[in-house]
Amino acid sequence: MFELVQALNDGAEELKRRSPNPISLNAGCELFIAFVTLFPHESDNFAELKKELEQQGRKYAAEAISFRDKIAELTLGFIKDDSVILTHSYSRVVLKALLHAHKTKRISVYVTESRPRGLGLKTYEALTAAGIPCTVVLDSAVAYVMDRVDFVLVGSEAVVESGGLINYVGSNQMAIVAKAANKPFYALAESYKFHRLFPLSQYDLPTHNPNILSLTTPIARSAGQDAASSDAAQEATATSQTSRGISSSVTERAMTQEQIAKNPGVDYTRPDLISLVFSDVGILTPEGVSQYLVGMFAG
Amino acid sequence: MAPGPMLDVHPPAGPPNGEPSTGQQKSQKAMTKAERRELQEKQRAAKAAKAAANGAPGKPSGKPKDQGAPQGGAAKPKPSRASDAQARPTLPAATRATEKAKAGQASMAVDTAAKGTQARGLLIFSHFGLPKPVSAAKGDIHPAIARLALQFSTFKITGANARCIATLTAFKTIIQDYVTPPNHTLSRHLMTYLSPQISHLVAARPMSVTMGNAIRQLKLDISGTDFDLPEQDAKDALCRKIDTYIRERIIIADQVIQETASNKIKDGDVILTYARSSVVEKVLLEAHASGRNFSVIVVDSRPMLEGKRLVAVLSEAGIQCTYLLLPALGAVMSEVSTVFVGAHSIHTNGAVYSRAGTALVAMMAKRHSVPVVVCCETYKFSESIQLDSFTKNELGQSLSAYSLLPSD
Repeated sequence: MFELVQALNDGAEELKRRSPNPISLNAGCELFIAFVTLFPHESDNFAELKKELEQQGRKYAAEAISFRDKIAELTLGFIKDDSVILTHSYSRVVLKALLHAHKTKRISVYVTESRPRGLGLKTYEALTAAGIPCTVVLDSAVAYVMDRVDFVLVGSEAVVESGGLINYVGSNQMAIVAKAANKPFYALAESYKFHRLFPLSQYDLPTHNPNILSLTTPIARSAGQDAASSDAAQEATATSQTSRGISSSVTERAMTQEQIAKNPGVDYTRPDLISLVFSDVGILTPEGVSQYLVGMFAG
Repeated sequence: MAPGPMLDVHPPAGPPNGEPSTGQQKSQKAMTKAERRELQEKQRAAKAAKAAANGAPGKPSGKPKDQGAPQGGAAKPKPSRASDAQARPTLPAATRATEKAKAGQASMAVDTAAKGTQARGLLIFSHFGLPKPVSAAKGDIHPAIARLALQFSTFKITGANARCIATLTAFKTIIQDYVTPPNHTLSRHLMTYLSPQISHLVAARPMSVTMGNAIRQLKLDISGTDFDLPEQDAKDALCRKIDTYIRERIIIADQVIQETASNKIKDGDVILTYARSSVVEKVLLEAHASGRNFSVIVVDSRPMLEGKRLVAVLSEAGIQCTYLLLPALGAVMSEVSTVFVGAHSIHTNGAVYSRAGTALVAMMAKRHSVPVVVCCETYKFSESIQLDSFTKNELGQSLSAYSLLPSD
């Protein structure tokens, strides 16, 4: 049994190494390994047990696909006609929930651009294709738009043991602004995203590396060099903009890849900023999440 | 009230010990409450004036006796001397009392302003009971228990873990020395034999939650002893169970805590801890041993000044330490990355019960958005709920046990 767990752990490590954003992967792997160890087995020999585990694993994977539908159904109860919803970046579970709601309710959606990857535009395309009125807002305009919004709906990379949320960078900001404006902040998360992490701060996340937000003393460069690099950046943005189908006659400045690398990809939202977590095991308060996690991993 | 040397400066109204003063015709017992209060105020004012003239008197020694001695009438509010009442809250009185108890010696001016509350100042801790001198061992108190009780009452052994381990170790000795009397079974009689020993310990110092939980487990084990086992086997089995309890619930639990908590310490961190928790000490040593580069701020408070020992241990291991007293906490909190504290116990509502002053550290940390991590083994979990530090607490060491000169 121990060797099996060891092998599973090694496999999980390998997967994590390959993935750029390992948090949700982490959560899923730990869940499965815990499941394997806590699974009550009455089988007589290892071959049977192995078959049983495989079966359960596949069953779980198949079920997992249905989790998003369950969550969409739960979210529907909180969406009223003419709701204005703010969401962040791109999340498949949020998308499913919005499309499901659109079948029976009138909704309109604001979505943030979510730099640097610009995934908010992916959401925009999917929603407009379905006929939902949608507008992309700048990441910096979240506070500006908050008073227009009825509630905020975000997806998740992971929901942690404290009941907090790990999601694309900008979610924490959105949660703080929502709290200040007294708007509900809902997180949608499948149960395999519940993670045993307990971050004490933004910088306590496993994705944090010393390069993020590092300050280095700049070497004085000549003016010519500076202009050349910014031109290159502008060209990059121009081409990417046209490829996105957005025409812009104004020359915009954009960050270089190097500068982007100094920025985080995910951030941590504290549990006291989150109103409810919608998951396939039900609608939980952030405190309920930690209770569920303890129950799950304590066997 | 047992008078200290400064009592020589008596107000003309007479010594506040129940004897009729020169100015009064009736004894204090016969006076109405209002009249008594008036007399008190007069006496206090006069004393304050006298004392101000003579310079502020120091804290009276023999304080504990002051708290308890009646004033010639149980119902009478204790007329407190100015210095008494002012010193009262500053006493190393409550080991786990509210932060009000931590106020330094107030100046005379503050004192006169707070005159009305001074009588309360004495009464405020009266529900904790009088500190009792350790009575001579009554009945069959095993010498190990007698020694332990003395160590508890003089605060030689402090800390939830230490007290629990010491108690269990003493119990092992007792169990081995125990002989089942004829017509009795070990599983029934041993507990009745242990009960007076436990009471003696409790009389020396109120039982800690850890001791309570351990003794409860021991009782369960004793009553579950197999009836047919020969006596020595049963005793050995019990001693083994006690060893297992200590090893699993304390030693190994501490190791698990060490591993998980030391992961929360990163290079360059400034860790703050309060007083001296055995678990936190282990966590810090473990983190240092695993190569992390961090510094520690140890916050300490009188009268126990346990932090000094912690600084000695950590510095010996090569950890950079800063030492300061509780009032200076605000000055350093903005530089702290994480606060690590130990606990005496954790209640079912999540409240942490710990050395007096921990609440202050936690509140200050919250104000500066510094995470507070509590290191606590599960055997310390208590089923009670406390809503404040005040209703259920214990008094700490009395000042008379200390010299008034600053010393270790």
